[in-house]
Amino acid sequence: MNSITFASSKRRTIIYFILIITFAVLVFRLFQMQIIQHRTYDEKSADNSIKAIEQIPLRGVFLDRNGEVLVSNIPAYTLRITPANYDKSLNEILETVLEVDQGYIDKILYNNRIYSKYIPIRIRRGIDFRVVAWLEENSQHLHGVDYIVEMQRGYPAQIMGSHIFGYNKEISPQQLEKEDEYYKPGDYVGNNGLEKTYEKFLRGIKGYNYILVDSRRKEIAKFKEGTDDVASRKGHDLLLSIDADVQRVAEEEFKDKKGAAVAIEPTTGEILAILSSPEYDLNRFSYVTSRDFLNSLYKDPDKPLFNRATMSVKPAGSTFKLLAAVAALDMGIITTETTIYCGGGFTFGRFFKCHGGAHGSLNVVHAIEKSCNTFFYNLIYRIGLDKWAEYARKLGFNSKTGIDIGEEVAGLIPDSKYYEKIYGANWPRSIMASLGIGQGEVSVTPLQLAQYVALIANNGKSYVPHLVKGYVDDATKQLVPFKFNEISTGIKKEALDIVKQGMFLVVNGAGTATRIRMNDIKIAGKTGTAQNPHGKDHAFFVCFAPYENPKIAIAVVVENIGFGSTYAAPIAKKMIEAYLLKDTLKKEIKTVPEIREKLIGAINEN
Amino acid sequence: MRIDYKLEDKFDFGLFVPSFVLICIGLMAIYSSTLNNPSAGNNFEKQLIWAAVALIIFFITYFLPTNSFRYAAIPLYVFSLMLLVVVLVAGKQVSGAKSWFDIGPFGFQPSELTKIGTILGLSFYLSRRNANIDSFVDILIAIFIGFIPVGLILLEPDLGTAIVFGGMILALIFWKGISLFSLFIVLSPGFVAVSTLFGVYYFIAALIIIAVTLFLFKKNIFFSGSIFALNLGAGFLVDYAYSILSPHQQRRIQSFLDPMADPLGSGYNAIQAKVAIGSGGFLGKGFLSGNQTQLQYIPEQWTDFIYCVIGEEFGFIGSVVIVALFLFLFLRLLKIASIAKDEFMSLVLIGILAVYFIHFLINIGMTIGIFPVIGIPLPFVSYGGSSLLVNIFMLGIAANIYRTRKSYA
Repeated sequence: MNSITFASSKRRTIIYFILIITFAVLVFRLFQMQIIQHRTYDEKSADNSIKAIEQIPLRGVFLDRNGEVLVSNIPAYTLRITPANYDKSLNEILETVLEVDQGYIDKILYNNRIYSKYIPIRIRRGIDFRVVAWLEENSQHLHGVDYIVEMQRGYPAQIMGSHIFGYNKEISPQQLEKEDEYYKPGDYVGNNGLEKTYEKFLRGIKGYNYILVDSRRKEIAKFKEGTDDVASRKGHDLLLSIDADVQRVAEEEFKDKKGAAVAIEPTTGEILAILSSPEYDLNRFSYVTSRDFLNSLYKDPDKPLFNRATMSVKPAGSTFKLLAAVAALDMGIITTETTIYCGGGFTFGRFFKCHGGAHGSLNVVHAIEKSCNTFFYNLIYRIGLDKWAEYARKLGFNSKTGIDIGEEVAGLIPDSKYYEKIYGANWPRSIMASLGIGQGEVSVTPLQLAQYVALIANNGKSYVPHLVKGYVDDATKQLVPFKFNEISTGIKKEALDIVKQGMFLVVNGAGTATRIRMNDIKIAGKTGTAQNPHGKDHAFFVCFAPYENPKIAIAVVVENIGFGSTYAAPIAKKMIEAYLLKDTLKKEIKTVPEIREKLIGAINEN
Repeated sequence: MRIDYKLEDKFDFGLFVPSFVLICIGLMAIYSSTLNNPSAGNNFEKQLIWAAVALIIFFITYFLPTNSFRYAAIPLYVFSLMLLVVVLVAGKQVSGAKSWFDIGPFGFQPSELTKIGTILGLSFYLSRRNANIDSFVDILIAIFIGFIPVGLILLEPDLGTAIVFGGMILALIFWKGISLFSLFIVLSPGFVAVSTLFGVYYFIAALIIIAVTLFLFKKNIFFSGSIFALNLGAGFLVDYAYSILSPHQQRRIQSFLDPMADPLGSGYNAIQAKVAIGSGGFLGKGFLSGNQTQLQYIPEQWTDFIYCVIGEEFGFIGSVVIVALFLFLFLRLLKIASIAKDEFMSLVLIGILAVYFIHFLINIGMTIGIFPVIGIPLPFVSYGGSSLLVNIFMLGIAANIYRTRKSYA
């Protein structure tokens, strides 16, 4: 039987066909993969091995109105660990050198365990030179440890500006969900202040370097020698309306005081200086902020994180007498001929005392000069509560100003509706008396006060207060100005002129702020003292200068200190000097290319 | 001495040329895939030495007296079995499998040698004078001879080698002339066993197919019944065996049945291998320019996934050349098997053909995604000394048989 079937030609043919068919199937499959589906596989292969590395662009810097660099970018050292090459026995010594808690490194490595072991992980930003020197000395023992230079914010102008500039912070998962696709985890984003408001101008455009990576995502080489790389585009520089000299003076004056100061250019609404004291050190936020530092800021009873200039509300005190005067004059209820007799107080249900004894008969100008309470107790009843409140709203109170740093409150100006709500239709009318002199339920912010003086100084017109004039387009090197809304109160110039006369006499007559009188600059102002149930009174001073041609309007509030004339007015005077008496050459706003040169110089110096 | 024959008459270039061209292409691919890998940096040099040794072994084998293979058949078979036992006890563990001997700087896998031992041993048994391939006893003994080494190899977890042996046994009994019905009986328990692993519905379907086929063969009812019972038993035995395996071993089997269930394990290699070959295109990315290869996307590519290097860097042209060289070699072996001077020699040649072919088919099949990933090398091309030497030894035997096909010494 076997001789018949062994190696029969039939079986040989079967094997022959198995071989041929196998060959055909394999070639067909290769044709399908390598010719027909080639493009798909080629893309997958490229996806595999070409990786885009983000290049974080240089953030735009902040310049003051004269081109001085206020916020710059400075190099800082970041310590990194590449887990694949790192031995955890080094943890202890590194933690000692970095002066961090035990377990700090382990915790960061654990949080990043999902990424490739060949991608370096940032352990600590902003390490100091001592640590860098130590790393260099011991580099041969420190496998998997290195440092890189990254940019962080620097503040070269000796200006704290903590409530102006704000700081940048690593983007949070919640923000990542809300924001556009530009951001990736680990990116820094403006957290508050101007850094936040103008984030989209400042951040620039990310660039990409394409590199070849192997299966473990380890870099092998540049892709196509870097010819496909996209360079990052630097963010736009912001030209601020801040005057560095005025800001510096204000900060210097407030070093040992609590309170706020705001200076505005009346014709434009540009903020020349704005500060809230105490401040905090923004340098501490330019890299990883320690939790202890944040906690100490939160726990500080003086609340340094709180922006007093835009968020703190207080009764405006005597500075509010100007409002009643403006209202009465504009309505035509009084003229300069109208006098009211001060016998040392005013009776409406109860007795309201004037300060400094009896002023006798006064017109509105002298009532402002002497800050006579009796005059304004009377006046508000003639104006009527709702009319008075209407003028307050016209002059910017009871609503947010719209300043370009996010955090702000509206304050409160009571009207009849407000009192009806609290006391019913028969609310005690005697309440109104205090409002006339800015006490009681009146609550305003320092920024609102500054805007109020600016509007009085500039004949009832100005612009929404703002901190940024525009940005310097990085491509064209041209200043692109931002547009802000105009404010027009519709109040008669004649009414305001009379009030201004009173303000002039406050400083230059026999008024309450004669101590700040100057020969070369005529200041017009109004003092105020707000009673504080919790301690010493708050000192207020509002003013503008020069009297003839107002260029700066200021509101100063010093907390828990005493009289406005004694404490607040001298600060305003120094700010005015810094702004109006500076070298005339320096005062001219520089052209944009010069600003650029100065900026580049500032960066190179660092 | 008078030369009265042409060189081609004794020396078969049809065997020699494709094999050594494959070795040369393999060396290029090994060079390319190990170039950027520091841990495998000297693999090319090692393989070059192996290739030189292989050439010597080829000619030694070529010039041996042909009958020595017949005499050596049983001793070699027994010897290779002993080696398998020894390696189980004293071998070196490489990636979970205890199948290596250390000889100086080179490792040696006895299961490679066992392939030759088994081809010779089984061919010897089947070609004896009164063998009857359709007798129940003869088939059982033949399968027994073939599966002793498989059993020993399976104690080391090496599925690929087991498949090679199964295919080789099948080829030999087919060539010997087994009837269709006997072949069915041999294959059916395996068919049922594998179906069982896929689940109870596959198991029942397999049993129904067996029952229908038995009915169509129209053998007597008692005989058919016993065959069916045998299959039923095989199914339950496999099910039981699977249940007593450790979860780790069960996963191995699952991964074999469905590689995509584990995309980061063996499935990862399968995907990256396809990407490498597919992205090669018509002409390839050029020698040393394949990014899948140069960037180490496939671990240890110089061994089982060497075909990806060729597919990526030499493209469709290179890939087809490899397949064509193999086809040419296979057809040549088939041709020599049909003109060999006796049954033993003919069976040995078919055994060699089967071993080459199964390696070739499974290896290339897994890289182009038509087979699951089973770790066996591509003959002549993959890196690896023992595999290359044994393949060349078999080629030498084939060339030797060709040399003496006309003499009756």
